[in-house]
Amino acid sequence: MSRPVDSSPLDRLKSILGEIADVQHAEAVADWDSRVSMPPDGAEARANVVATLTRIAHERFVSDEVGELLAELDGVADETDAALVRLTRHEWDRARRVPSDLAAEMAHAAGVAVAAWDKAKAASDFASFVPHLERQLELKLRYIDCFPDIEKPYDVLLDDYEEGMTTAEVQRVFDRLKEVLVPLIANRRDGGVALEGRFPVERQQEAGVRVLDAFGYDPQTWRIDETPHPFASKPGAGDIRLTTHTDAGDLTSLFSTMHEFGHGVYEADVDARLARTPLARGTSSAIHESQSRMWENLVGRSRGFWRWFYPQLQPLFPEALGSVDEEAFVRAVSAIRPGLIRGDADEATYGLHIILRFELEQELLAGKLAIRDLPETWNARMQEYLGVDVPDDAHGVLQDMHWSIGLFGYFPTYQLGNVASVQIWEVARRDLGDLEEQFARGEFSPLREWLREHVYRHGSVYPPRELLRRVTGSDLDPEPYLQYLQTKFA
Amino acid sequence: MTGSPFDRLRERLAEVSDLTKAATLLVWDQRVMMPPGGAEARAEALGTVSRLAQERFIDDEVGRLLEELRGLEESSGYDSFEASLIRTTRREYEKATRVSPELVGEMRRASALGLSAWGPAKESSDFEQLRPHLEAQLELRHRYVSCFPAGDETYDVLLDDYEPLMKTAEVRQVFTELKDELVPMIEEIRDAGDVDDSFLRGEFDPATQRKLGLEIVRAFGYSEDEWRLDETGHPFMTTPGAGDIRLTSNFRPHDLSSLFATMHEFGHGVYEWGVDRSLARTPLHTGVSLAVHESQSRTWENLVGRSRAFWRWFYPRLQQAFAAQFGSIDEETFYRAVNKVQPSLIRIDADEVTYNLHIILRFELEQDLIDGRLAIPDLPDAWNARMDEYLAVDVPDAARGVLQDMHWAGGALGYFPTYALGNVISVQIWERALEDLGDLDERFERGEFGDLREWLRQHLYTLGARYTPQETIERVTGSRIDAKPYLRYLREKLAPQVA
Repeated sequence: MSRPVDSSPLDRLKSILGEIADVQHAEAVADWDSRVSMPPDGAEARANVVATLTRIAHERFVSDEVGELLAELDGVADETDAALVRLTRHEWDRARRVPSDLAAEMAHAAGVAVAAWDKAKAASDFASFVPHLERQLELKLRYIDCFPDIEKPYDVLLDDYEEGMTTAEVQRVFDRLKEVLVPLIANRRDGGVALEGRFPVERQQEAGVRVLDAFGYDPQTWRIDETPHPFASKPGAGDIRLTTHTDAGDLTSLFSTMHEFGHGVYEADVDARLARTPLARGTSSAIHESQSRMWENLVGRSRGFWRWFYPQLQPLFPEALGSVDEEAFVRAVSAIRPGLIRGDADEATYGLHIILRFELEQELLAGKLAIRDLPETWNARMQEYLGVDVPDDAHGVLQDMHWSIGLFGYFPTYQLGNVASVQIWEVARRDLGDLEEQFARGEFSPLREWLREHVYRHGSVYPPRELLRRVTGSDLDPEPYLQYLQTKFA
Repeated sequence: MTGSPFDRLRERLAEVSDLTKAATLLVWDQRVMMPPGGAEARAEALGTVSRLAQERFIDDEVGRLLEELRGLEESSGYDSFEASLIRTTRREYEKATRVSPELVGEMRRASALGLSAWGPAKESSDFEQLRPHLEAQLELRHRYVSCFPAGDETYDVLLDDYEPLMKTAEVRQVFTELKDELVPMIEEIRDAGDVDDSFLRGEFDPATQRKLGLEIVRAFGYSEDEWRLDETGHPFMTTPGAGDIRLTSNFRPHDLSSLFATMHEFGHGVYEWGVDRSLARTPLHTGVSLAVHESQSRTWENLVGRSRAFWRWFYPRLQQAFAAQFGSIDEETFYRAVNKVQPSLIRIDADEVTYNLHIILRFELEQDLIDGRLAIPDLPDAWNARMDEYLAVDVPDAARGVLQDMHWAGGALGYFPTYALGNVISVQIWERALEDLGDLDERFERGEFGDLREWLRQHLYTLGARYTPQETIERVTGSRIDAKPYLRYLREKLAPQVA
């Protein structure tokens, strides 16, 4: 290492963290590439590369040197530096518990299992995925064992995505949601007309680009590609990557494009001074999701948005939309329609898809549910909560990739994001006045600017709970979200 | 640490290989995918990942393991995997540890600076903009050379980075033989009159070019499971991992050069593709040298892709795709046009014959520079004079002269010779393949290239870097590097034009 020995502890810490950020940059590109551009036979070599990068970043991070620097920096005065030390200490304490070999095994198993999941899903063949899921579960349990002082195993997992969140708090929010949503859905099961017809892929992509342009997408620093499963990624500053999935049979690509924009803009607008530190990213999965949901739903399904955009969209699809007026269109994109696929679910039923996964994950980890019984349990609960019959595992338990890459404890953050999105939205509306009128004129920059100022620029300077309190004055609270749904679907 | 010393060496080399592959991917992504705004963060990331790979390779632990493994190397057969890996790693380790990390860092920075100055300098055809960078590069090269024991010639050290164990004297001998024959040959062709190739310029839809390029390389052995093809300003090939071969081509709308660039890059790709997979994650899992690599890109681009038999197969398809352009052009006329020999200014656009003189010129100038016979400010004049001497062309400006290539700006001195050596080696290998396989024309005419590919895989590709380049060439061809087969090939091919 060619660091001058006389540099300050803060400089030395930043130098190490910068090096780790660079390795993670490489990991992010490796991951993006494996989903966007890698030929399929490159998967095995790629899994090795990612495992090595993960291990090197991990080893560098958990070194005694980092611990010593953190100790020296205890009580540092500057607010941002203090935040860096705080977050680094939190992550260092956690990472120290996990042996490098386990971290590498987890990374390697994820690379292999995601490829297996892809095949299993395509063939709707759960049996071929079972060994991989078993392996992931075993690795997760070993991971949980690294934290013997945390009482509830599921709390260990939650904290990775949502610092400070507990299973009990999630349970409380979800119980309240279930109480309102199940009857709301049951009463509205017939609602809304489905949009039918052909929506040519290039036209949808054109519409997506127009929306992104208005939201503030910049081709100098962003790109968008097609993948079966949309996602957003930021390998490094000035490099924001969205993906979307365009299917000529419906218009969902528009909403997934807006969704991923929300993730992208959060990352794009983090203060540039935080680059190459752990503070240079959104503060948690739920807060991230609050932003993707905000741009997808609170903006992208609002009446104001469609007052502006429907006159542009309609002529792109004269056959399918020629005889659909704006009012009918807005109703159609906001209809409650219980379905099989989480990714396609409407605002009201989405939460139940998540609650189901949250429950099954806890049962799997507690050994109350065997993996081989998973499809049956899945299907039974889909019937119970949403009243739908699952025809095959591709449309059931195999639909999401999360478990294949070891993401247990992640799903709840999606729904917590919905909840937080409306809490933040209400404050923005209070400050900015009638947003719908601005949207109707195609103006989105006041909202983006407000969000940049209050949320995005801070990156991870504040932990999620603190950020939410600073912006909204309260903790996670399901009531604004429920009120929004009840008003919208009254 | 557990496991035998050999296992531990393999583990360390696998880690270095993974980091190198990560860096490879970062470069590919930067050239093909990355939004421009990401450049700064990418430079940092690439710098760190490359440095980590280097640090892990030159670590004392590797030296200790190599010492411990001397016994195993001697007791294993020369051809064994163990001996090959230890031998090759030792050679690379001994080279790498001679150069201080500071100098490596300085060279990397100078390279980045030089390359970023090269673009604008070429754009404005202003040698003066690049001059200080070239002077810095030359100074760094001298410092680099002084890390190694004095050999026969200073240039040997530079050459060794790209063509391990190759000596300047041997290259000079091959190139002298080429020059002696090619300069008069080009004059004769010039006197014989013009070949019409005007129909090769026109409107060629880039999407159709890409489609045709894919049709060709699929017949060669490209498959979607293991390969991809993208567009970049400068075509290249890279492999971010086993089973992951990436080509790029440049689909220029007014000519068909992309077809040849695609076949050229396929040649590089198929060499990497064919390396024995059991060598993956070791330094042996790669083509053995730049010259041998280039021999394969040239084989697929020229020996296959500019052959009569190839066009007998593909010309009807091309004619159909670009009917307006080629409707009235017969196959023979087309064949002669894509094989036209004509002295020109730009190396990468040069034909099979004149190409070598572009290289010889650079090889000579590089030696003059490193040996102090030529000062950087005098480089443009020396360049232009020699272009006139060898190819009888007037260089109108530096952009089309000394600034045309990025190599020197990035510090790559000693690289150019490998291109022409590749031409030479390609025909040596080709002759051996024909001896074993018989006449390939009939197969090419039917669009069948599998026999050739399989022969090359079995005899050359699979070896990877188990042996030195010279040993590899000798194993495949039975002789050292030799200009005669290549000259024979050119004479036969060009007989109609010269006569």
